[in-house]
Amino acid sequence: MPVFTSACPRNCYSTCSLKVTVEEGRVVAIDPHPGNRATADGPCLKGLSYLERTEPGSRLLQPLRRQADGSFAAISWDAALDLMAERFAAIRARYGPQSVLYYAGSGTKGLLNGVGMTFWRLFGGCTTTYGDLCWPAGLEATRLTLGDNRHSAPWDLAEARLVVMWGKNAAETNLHQMRFLEQALERGARCVVIDPRRTATAERAHLLVQPRPGTDGALALGLAHLLIRDDRIDHAFIQAHVLGFEPFAESVRAWTPERTAQVTGVAVAHLEALAWELGTVKPVTLCAGFGMQRYTNSGQTLRALLALLAITGNLGRPGAGWVYANLQSDVFSAVKDPLDFYPPERPDGIVRVSVSTARLGRDMLAQDGPPLKAVWVERGNPLCQNPETGKVREAFRALDFRVVVDERLTDTAREADLVLPSKSLFEQTDVIGAYWHPYLQIRQKLMEPPSAVKPETELYWLLAQRLGLPLDTLPAPGDAAVEAFLEAKLARFPGLTLAALREGPVLAPGHQEVAFADGVYPTPSGRIELWSEEAARRWGVDPLPAYQEPLESAAGARGDYPLQLLTPNQKNGIHSQFLDLKVIQALDGGPGLWIAAEDASARRLVQGDRARVFNDRGELFLPVRIDLGLLRGCVVAFNGYGAAHGGSVNLLSLGRETDLGHGAAFHDNLVQVEAAP
Amino acid sequence: MTAPGQFVFDPNRCTGCEACVLACWMENRAQQTQPWRRVYSFNGPKHPGLPVFQLSLACHHCDHPACLEQCPAGAYARDAATGAVVLDSGRCMGCRYCTWVCPHDAPRYAGALGTVEKCTFCQSRQAAGLEPACVARCPVAALGFEPRDPAGRGALPRGFPESALGPAIRIAAPQRPGPELTAPPEPAALGRHWGSLLRIPESKITLRGEWTLVVFTATLAVLVAVLAAHAAATPLRASWPLQGGFLGAGLAALALSTSHLGRPFRAWRALTNLRHSWVSREIALVSAFLGLAGLQLLWFPAHRPLAWAAVAVGFLALWAVDRVYQVALHTGALNFHSAQALFTGLYLAGILAGSVPLALAAGALKAVLYGHRKLHFRRQGRAGTPLLSLLRLALGFAGPALAFGTGLGALSAVLGELLDRCEFYRELELPTPARALAQALARIHPA
Repeated sequence: MPVFTSACPRNCYSTCSLKVTVEEGRVVAIDPHPGNRATADGPCLKGLSYLERTEPGSRLLQPLRRQADGSFAAISWDAALDLMAERFAAIRARYGPQSVLYYAGSGTKGLLNGVGMTFWRLFGGCTTTYGDLCWPAGLEATRLTLGDNRHSAPWDLAEARLVVMWGKNAAETNLHQMRFLEQALERGARCVVIDPRRTATAERAHLLVQPRPGTDGALALGLAHLLIRDDRIDHAFIQAHVLGFEPFAESVRAWTPERTAQVTGVAVAHLEALAWELGTVKPVTLCAGFGMQRYTNSGQTLRALLALLAITGNLGRPGAGWVYANLQSDVFSAVKDPLDFYPPERPDGIVRVSVSTARLGRDMLAQDGPPLKAVWVERGNPLCQNPETGKVREAFRALDFRVVVDERLTDTAREADLVLPSKSLFEQTDVIGAYWHPYLQIRQKLMEPPSAVKPETELYWLLAQRLGLPLDTLPAPGDAAVEAFLEAKLARFPGLTLAALREGPVLAPGHQEVAFADGVYPTPSGRIELWSEEAARRWGVDPLPAYQEPLESAAGARGDYPLQLLTPNQKNGIHSQFLDLKVIQALDGGPGLWIAAEDASARRLVQGDRARVFNDRGELFLPVRIDLGLLRGCVVAFNGYGAAHGGSVNLLSLGRETDLGHGAAFHDNLVQVEAAP
Repeated sequence: MTAPGQFVFDPNRCTGCEACVLACWMENRAQQTQPWRRVYSFNGPKHPGLPVFQLSLACHHCDHPACLEQCPAGAYARDAATGAVVLDSGRCMGCRYCTWVCPHDAPRYAGALGTVEKCTFCQSRQAAGLEPACVARCPVAALGFEPRDPAGRGALPRGFPESALGPAIRIAAPQRPGPELTAPPEPAALGRHWGSLLRIPESKITLRGEWTLVVFTATLAVLVAVLAAHAAATPLRASWPLQGGFLGAGLAALALSTSHLGRPFRAWRALTNLRHSWVSREIALVSAFLGLAGLQLLWFPAHRPLAWAAVAVGFLALWAVDRVYQVALHTGALNFHSAQALFTGLYLAGILAGSVPLALAAGALKAVLYGHRKLHFRRQGRAGTPLLSLLRLALGFAGPALAFGTGLGALSAVLGELLDRCEFYRELELPTPARALAQALARIHPA
């Protein structure tokens, strides 16, 4: 049976290479691809679940149009294209092209994703979003500090003697990193996990430090205080590479262990123990998760974490470093994340970049001159995943025309006037990078899509044709044009061809196995910047990584809403994807509210009760799960579940931005819990 | 790679991701209606003093597989090349006895199919030189595969069901002690919720699920006792109520036990493993008993030796019934139960035949066993049901004593026995990985 190289294109660290066996036009097996050293043992359960996910019986197979009674009816592509051409042309004529919002999420990676914006420019322009839900505060903190978002190859973790998993639950979100952590542990390394939750990853640690959510910056500054007080810092490294050490050292003098303990809730003895470990064990790799940087203070938080590595000399060496985002495989972008998702300094008058992803609902409603009249959503499910579901829904319902391209009837698709079925990952060739390992990969076409499913590129081409737009910059329907489009992108890199990628993953050109091993930090000063003029200028923050209480807990709201709601990811889904598959649901326990024993007792809740979780923004009803490993004052509800499971956690979150990077600070979220009536 | 192999599992690498469950599904989804491999957790409630670890378990293709030995239908076989213990679903009659005798919970009953299903050891993959799918697709290399080596397996971790079957799996010792928490739960709060978190899964045998078997065994014991009383009576006489009642009840009992099968039309297969299976022997002896009794009652009503022969076979059948349940009986040092079918048969025979010595002896034995097991379970911390016990003793012993030799006394004894048999079902216990893991946790930190 023929076996093909492919890759999982989801918004996930691991971005696994796959070996896909095809039999009579059907995928029958998915196996590990040894060509990718980072994922050599194969994909997680989600990667294996593609057997169900890509089957025709499990997905949308035809365009659907909303009827007057709210239900959907299948329509032909001709009818769908006519409808779109007519509506978009009318809206453009009456309000201008910028009355259309083009919203693209992160559901699928690929170079062909860029075709969407090409189309909308041909259309005459559109409005689009800036910022990102996922990781901008950390990207910006890293860019400001180190000059670039890159880290050592995943397997370098095995060389670490101390691994600090700070707010990262790799066991569920970056499974393949656990192999390298395990290798480090088998060689005698130690592991500290910093997380309010006792996660599966924490089982590998000898110490689980449980700070109050949002206070990680204070914890880092307090640790820096101890490292400097006890002179457990690397003077030579600081001398050679660090800018702003003196003012930083001066600023952390105020972060005495007592004050740090008071702010973070971590006892002085534990602070001392952790600082001792950070200061005496080398090399240290610090893996920082994404959840922690979705608070209003979190760009500064991550700058503070980075400072710990800078002052202990744990950068640029094997087994040492900062593992946050490795954009080394993004060789195609002229401007990389996070800069490419900031609003342009000089708008071009064609694409209006005026809607903050973090405040999607509010900003959509606030657009004027022209107001928004239509939306096009692809690769995303904003009604489930963006902050303030209620506001996003209100903004969607205020529009005249809504098109959603998706494999399935998501919460967002259910709000659409027209739902267009999208291809599966096995139905069109594309090239993808990753943000953890340094490989470029192909996700190749292994079969024709079902007869009434069209890849997005073809859809754009057909729509452009209907609208009378020039077609020469869009890939034409068919595989030849798509492959030519991709080959043109690869042509800059000698040896990098679709044929080479079909053999297996290829290390990104210019890849640095140990990041910053050359000691070159592309910051304005050429040094690791603890003191960043740019941070102050661009974001109006302290040039040093100073700590501020997260806005929601600082606002004194703790009276009514004393509990911090954590909304992490879990192994059975990628945000809202996969959770609707039968084979996943057979294993998944479904949504719940995890709560510390003390907090449950105070509310007379016991295991299995139904709880009401609420704040001023909304409410959710969830079964109570007592969690003996959870920090008191926190409750946990996994994100990704939507209306079919009783509602998204974002019914409770607020749309607001992080201090740096235009990220979404939706983890800054206080709630109250009571027994459901 | 077709030398017999065994699984290897390293809980230090496993994160509980369950890719193995989907790997198995990917390979076998045309056949399977439920997972053949499952991931079990030790310390799922996260007691702060203990680590949390997982065991990914499927069929261990044991050195001495109880499923194969005990299957009455001869549906199991050992594949010499791979060492796989293979179930032929075309021969399975859906009696579920293999799901009782396997402490590893590998064979599972598929209601939709009416047969049992289980891990095949990926025989076809092995024939092609490949590892089992779960091993080949474990993303963290926690599952492995190596040549079968009974001597080199080492100790099995806590929470792994104890078994004399020689499960062909090597499990690395869990190394991680679990993290020190900077914010562990307060002992008082932990204590308040621990009982509800420490839930021990329900036993595989429940009264609700197996009531047809209760009725079957109780009826059988009554019939044996009735026939014994008949054989001992002078003159030997078979009245039509006895003939009709006996045969009607006998046929009903047989029908009831057949209806318990997932594939009733394969019931004849129950006789194919007389050499090893107590279920086969039970079915054969019960059939022989009913046949002989019918012969005697209908055609040779005055033939006393034939009557006694039928009674003897009947008691043997009751003994076989007890042997079938032996796998789930754990009543302490005297691993007997007052409701065992043989004792019930003897006791009722004594009462129905009006034999005071037999009734007294069997009754005394039952009373001693009743008290013994109640004390044993109480020592184990299992809650008793004093009112039910009182009722059982009153009906079973006081009733017949006060009205010995009357129909009312006999009815009271039968009802007492039925109650005891119901308790028996509630007290039967089959080890499973889920129960063993929960019990291991409960032993360390009782509720």
